[in-house]
Amino acid sequence: MRRLLILFGIALTLSAQYQNSFKITWIEPGSNVILPEFDAFDNSNGTLGVLNASGPVNTEGHPFFTALGSNKRACVNCHQPTYGMSVSAASLLDRWRATDGKDPVFAAFDGSNCPSLPQDKESSHSLLLKRGLYRIPLPWPPRKADGSPKKVEFTIEVVRDPTGCNTSREYGLQSAQPTVSVYRRPRPAANLKYVLSGGQPIVLKTGLLADVDPETGKPVSMNLMTDAREATLKTQAISAVLGHEQARVVPTPQQIDRIVQYESQVYVAQMAHIFGGPLAVPGGPAGLGVAALRDHPAGVLGDNESDPVFGLFTAWKGNDYYRSSVARGADLFMNRQFWIRDTAHINSIGLGNPLKRTCATCHNAQMTGQDLSAGWVDVGTTNFPTWTEPNTWAESSELPVFKITCSRDADPHPYLGRIIYTTDPGRALISGRCVDVGSIVMQQLRGLSGRAPYFANGSAKTLREVVDFYDRRFDMKLSDEEKEDLINFLGAL
Amino acid sequence: MIRRAGCAGLVCGFLAAVLAPGQPLAGQRNFVSCPIVRDTKTVPCFLAEYEGELYFLGIQQDITSDFHPPQLKHQVLVEGRVVEGPRICGGIPLRPVSISVLKEVNLACNTLLPAEPGIEAPPASRGAGPSSRRLETVSAPREPLSGRQEFTVLYSFNDDYLEYAGNRTVTEATAYAKRIGASSVKVSGYRATTLLSSGDRLVEKAGLAEKRAQNIATILRGLGVAGVTLDWKSEPEPGDGQTDPSRRRVTVVVTP
Repeated sequence: MRRLLILFGIALTLSAQYQNSFKITWIEPGSNVILPEFDAFDNSNGTLGVLNASGPVNTEGHPFFTALGSNKRACVNCHQPTYGMSVSAASLLDRWRATDGKDPVFAAFDGSNCPSLPQDKESSHSLLLKRGLYRIPLPWPPRKADGSPKKVEFTIEVVRDPTGCNTSREYGLQSAQPTVSVYRRPRPAANLKYVLSGGQPIVLKTGLLADVDPETGKPVSMNLMTDAREATLKTQAISAVLGHEQARVVPTPQQIDRIVQYESQVYVAQMAHIFGGPLAVPGGPAGLGVAALRDHPAGVLGDNESDPVFGLFTAWKGNDYYRSSVARGADLFMNRQFWIRDTAHINSIGLGNPLKRTCATCHNAQMTGQDLSAGWVDVGTTNFPTWTEPNTWAESSELPVFKITCSRDADPHPYLGRIIYTTDPGRALISGRCVDVGSIVMQQLRGLSGRAPYFANGSAKTLREVVDFYDRRFDMKLSDEEKEDLINFLGAL
Repeated sequence: MIRRAGCAGLVCGFLAAVLAPGQPLAGQRNFVSCPIVRDTKTVPCFLAEYEGELYFLGIQQDITSDFHPPQLKHQVLVEGRVVEGPRICGGIPLRPVSISVLKEVNLACNTLLPAEPGIEAPPASRGAGPSSRRLETVSAPREPLSGRQEFTVLYSFNDDYLEYAGNRTVTEATAYAKRIGASSVKVSGYRATTLLSSGDRLVEKAGLAEKRAQNIATILRGLGVAGVTLDWKSEPEPGDGQTDPSRRRVTVVVTP
């Protein structure tokens, strides 16, 4: 009965959405709204669904929705239900214009290219406004849990610094507290049972011990952050409140528990296509929609024929233009073979280089398409020459460029050697290992339609640009029709 | 000196520094070369050339396979025994064969041959598409261990990366030590020498035995194994050209 009511609610909400297209909702900290069990938000592809599996959420006094620090920010600033529990670059630009740049999301600390820049200027927030990127300041060298410096295998130099932050005497590598600033998208705080599943004691990709939950001592998935630097939702929440919210005191255990409880029950998925109609329909693909995410077991490998990553799409192989395109896209994702080449932590872990496989080889976890093992991979978005930035020096270049020089004693990066130019060293900023330079933890593929741009560096403005990147990177030779099918498939997730 | 195309720059310099004269071996092919990848209508074959002859090393499988293919952009150390019988993918098969990807990048190693009619890969347990079976993550049940047990973790040449098989071995050793409440768990690290078919010797780098042992001991302790002690043999194990891969190892002796 409860499920019938939810389905009825979903239908009603979707119906209302069609009549009230492009509704924009931005939750401000302390706005004291009640979030329904199910809500739907329009995006350019159709409608995104957000399910609170534990029922309606009263945000009044809720620590996820309340500013806990000194800059008036709350978690919700960067994890908005409307945008798949992340935030889109377009919504940030709207927000800038609506508030004249006064919204706390634009806080100098990490909502601008560098705190040293004049904060009233739009150009000082260009990475956030154009690409949805927040500044992530990381200590260099990285620290162990006890605060002591880790042994590192490489030196890091700043060779291009368009934001000024990495060469800043106050915030940069040569400052009193040496810091590397990289710029990254906020990951969706949703569908997290999948993100947190799959922890193994020994990380397949490194042959080293996995990080553990400091409370339980159990290994964690190491798939939570762009660089896997936080072990659990609790440690992430504490770090985010102290960092992004600039709190001066650690949040209370009760506050952290409430944040984690809320995050753990939110499911996000596209629910309807703008022309194709509802996606989660009886008899349709079982993996679509938020209820499927709520009900499916986590930690299941989907790189197989019988029970694929996002379920079977055979029901949609027919004459309907949109649905058959989605089904073909699902087939391409699972079955289209190409040469996966020069990808650190895929080709280099015993699978061979090149590896003749499919998208699902790496994006193998059911329902999200992350990697079921700790999923940091150098697919090439951040490292020269395959990076997403211009390949020649240009005034328009937006990201910093670092030169990494690995020591002779260290194992080199498996495909780039010991001197690497990168816009984001990724996991290597945490591990200190040369082989990790440019490796980024795979993101989940759900709710994509609500949270452009894509990749950790926000370089792909559209799903077309994502598909184009892979087509170039792996010489997939996709036809225009195949690209459209993949885009429709990804957009339906 | 190694006298093959593809041996250049830093790798050749490294090899030159560690090689010394030795004896050639019959039936065994131990050599350093660029791998060659040949596509087929199913999975790719991995080959390597030595003294004008092409050898078949193996095919693409999955991570659980005993054969871990070489990598383009890297030279490979091949240690294998010639098997009588038809060629596979155009190459003389080597069985058993040990593959070690040399760490330094070598851009000259970049040969990817297209599929050709008449050249087929042997049947693979896993094709190039999604698996037709679920990847096994749990070992098949076997007789419960008892008494003093020695577990051996093998490594690629000059490498301390714990491969999938070694990962399982360490996991088994951990489970056993914890189950019996082991009185001692002794970890011993080694590095070794490979006797090449040319008669030259290739020696693993200094310090590797210690690093291998330290890594395994760290994992065992991290997984809650008590009473772990470790040692390592700094001098390289000698090479006989036949069993050299078995000496690149860490042993874990678990005593009740």
